[in-house]
Amino acid sequence: MPRALWMWFSLAVTALGAVPARAQVVQCQKCHGNRAVLAGEGGTAAQAARLYVPQQALAGTVHEKLRCAECHVGYERGFPHVPSSTTRSCAACHETEGRDWDQSIHAQNAKEQGDAPTCTGCHGIHQIYPASDRRSPTNALNVAALCGKCHNDARIIGTYFSTAADTQAQRAVNEYFQTVHGMALTEAGLVVSATCNDCHGAHKVLPAKSPDSRVNRAHVAETCGTCHVGVRETFDESSHGKALAAGDTTADGHQAPVCIDCHTGHQIVRADEPHWYVGVVEECGSCHEKEYETYLETYHGKVTALGSALAAQCSECHTAHAMRPASDPASSVYPMNLMKTCGQCHAEANVNFTRYYAHGDPKSRTKYPLLFWPWLAMTTLLVSVMSFFLLHTALWLIRSAVDYVRARRRGGAEGTVSHG
Amino acid sequence: MADRLSVAQRGEGPYLRRFSPLERWLHGFVIVSFFGLVMTGIPLHFAGAPWAETLVRALGGVAGAGVIHRICAIITFGYFFTHLGSLVYRIAKSPNKLSYFWGPDSMIPQFKDVRDVIAMFKWFFGLGPRPTFDRFSYMEKFDYWAVFWGVAIIGGSGLLLWFPEFFAKFLPGWAFNIATIVHGDEALLALSFIFTIHFFNVHFRPEKFPIDTVIFTGRATVGYMKEEHPLQYERLGAAGQLEGLVEAAPSSTLTAWSIVLGFAALAIGVGLIVLVAWTLLQ
Repeated sequence: MPRALWMWFSLAVTALGAVPARAQVVQCQKCHGNRAVLAGEGGTAAQAARLYVPQQALAGTVHEKLRCAECHVGYERGFPHVPSSTTRSCAACHETEGRDWDQSIHAQNAKEQGDAPTCTGCHGIHQIYPASDRRSPTNALNVAALCGKCHNDARIIGTYFSTAADTQAQRAVNEYFQTVHGMALTEAGLVVSATCNDCHGAHKVLPAKSPDSRVNRAHVAETCGTCHVGVRETFDESSHGKALAAGDTTADGHQAPVCIDCHTGHQIVRADEPHWYVGVVEECGSCHEKEYETYLETYHGKVTALGSALAAQCSECHTAHAMRPASDPASSVYPMNLMKTCGQCHAEANVNFTRYYAHGDPKSRTKYPLLFWPWLAMTTLLVSVMSFFLLHTALWLIRSAVDYVRARRRGGAEGTVSHG
Repeated sequence: MADRLSVAQRGEGPYLRRFSPLERWLHGFVIVSFFGLVMTGIPLHFAGAPWAETLVRALGGVAGAGVIHRICAIITFGYFFTHLGSLVYRIAKSPNKLSYFWGPDSMIPQFKDVRDVIAMFKWFFGLGPRPTFDRFSYMEKFDYWAVFWGVAIIGGSGLLLWFPEFFAKFLPGWAFNIATIVHGDEALLALSFIFTIHFFNVHFRPEKFPIDTVIFTGRATVGYMKEEHPLQYERLGAAGQLEGLVEAAPSSTLTAWSIVLGFAALAIGVGLIVLVAWTLLQ
């Protein structure tokens, strides 16, 4: 039988759809599993390579039971297959994922610039395994590398993430590997640790500024809370969580902080890393300006400013996630709770001890008269003693200079300032 | 030649004793502990300054600097009480106990000191002769009492801050706020005074530039005494007591060490006051 005729015959049979998957795959394999066939009849080697599908391509994959024609629908138009519609949309079966992807920044880019991944870009073509399978590019242990193929690519970064606002995105993948999440995956092999898709979503990936994005400020607590359930519970009940829920802003327009304000997005480290929890004080200070300023005047603040973790930072008194106003009996800084709070470091702290002003401002006469007067007395002493003696010294120097010049004029050798 | 760097070596005549070995040692401890305290203390006082973290790191970090600070505090209490003890001992043994409390040999300010201050200002403006001093000029007395007051105030407040849990047994918590203010500001005054006024009065003024090592060697030439403490010199001469004060010239080793250590202290002090002044002006 001439080869062309054989092809027509086999296509006609498969088109009936009456053939079981296995048999149909065999039919397709007659041509697509044979490079010689693909390259014949005027075909090129490159064409053959593109069209070649090895035997058992789907064996062991999630699509093992599917027939070729369930995805490749173009052949119905006859032979040779019409290229424009050779692939059926994955979304025909994977509806939710398809819809999500359609709304993503990837979809927008794929349609407009063709520079973003479609389904196959992440999941592969024939060798598609469940995400739980180590072989899948979407397996937790492989995701960062998968996303990094584009998000760590100089051309992609240069084209889409070149502005100053994108500095985070430019370094995101590299930095991820240094974070507690990244290290949990790469060092500890912990697949429950968060990787790219756990925060950004797998299909509906959107820039943080998009209100629908999982990493938009409005959704960050929710997103992190997917895993950090206990922290989210505490946070929601805290001053910050309540202000966030209420949409409150400070007088100068600061919104309530969300997880990433303190922990960052891609530089997340363990909360017991001193360089982080010492530095996070500045983050608290970006809203709590007066408290930050007065804190820096205390021993606690000065030690912290020197980059040391030896003295208390904000969170050691106010807690990390359960901060509440001092008037709230559940607050760690409620007067009745201070002995316990101070006692974390100062083992013998008694009631007297808790009367320390952790944010005392000596320059405020009305709020802290006990500190104002000693401060004023010391400052007066310092200024008056130094003024008197600096004047004494200055006049002495001038007088010596005058004497020296006069002596020179008189022709004296060294003037009056010498012990011989 | 190197001998001539120090004003105490420059004048004519034999050397006269000015400070006892104990006084020289105590002043040595004052210098060492004071520099230790200042170098570990000012980075904390000026914790936000760009040089603070570097200086602290060089001194063993906050923990290390804290240990140095406390060791130097112990040295400070040590010299303070040694001096008090020696003072009590000397007064008890002295046939002329009153001389410690009144008169030209006393550290207590006299009417003459007030007159000297006024005369000094008159001299500055060319309105009178330069005053002459007895054993201790009013500047030296001020230095002495400044250390006395400073150790008591800074030392006392420092103890509060060192053992807050203990002192909270009988002091309210805000006492530690006040202790912080007093400790820091008094220390700032002390270092500002020592590194400018004391350095000028003792080492840098034209008559004495660049250094006066008499506190290290304990003795100075007759020429020096005639110029710096003429009234004491005349008084002792008239009483026939000068002979008893004559000492051999300090050994060249002692002189060399005095000059090297003196200059090191002066250099560190000037460096620190420049840092502090620069920071305060920021």
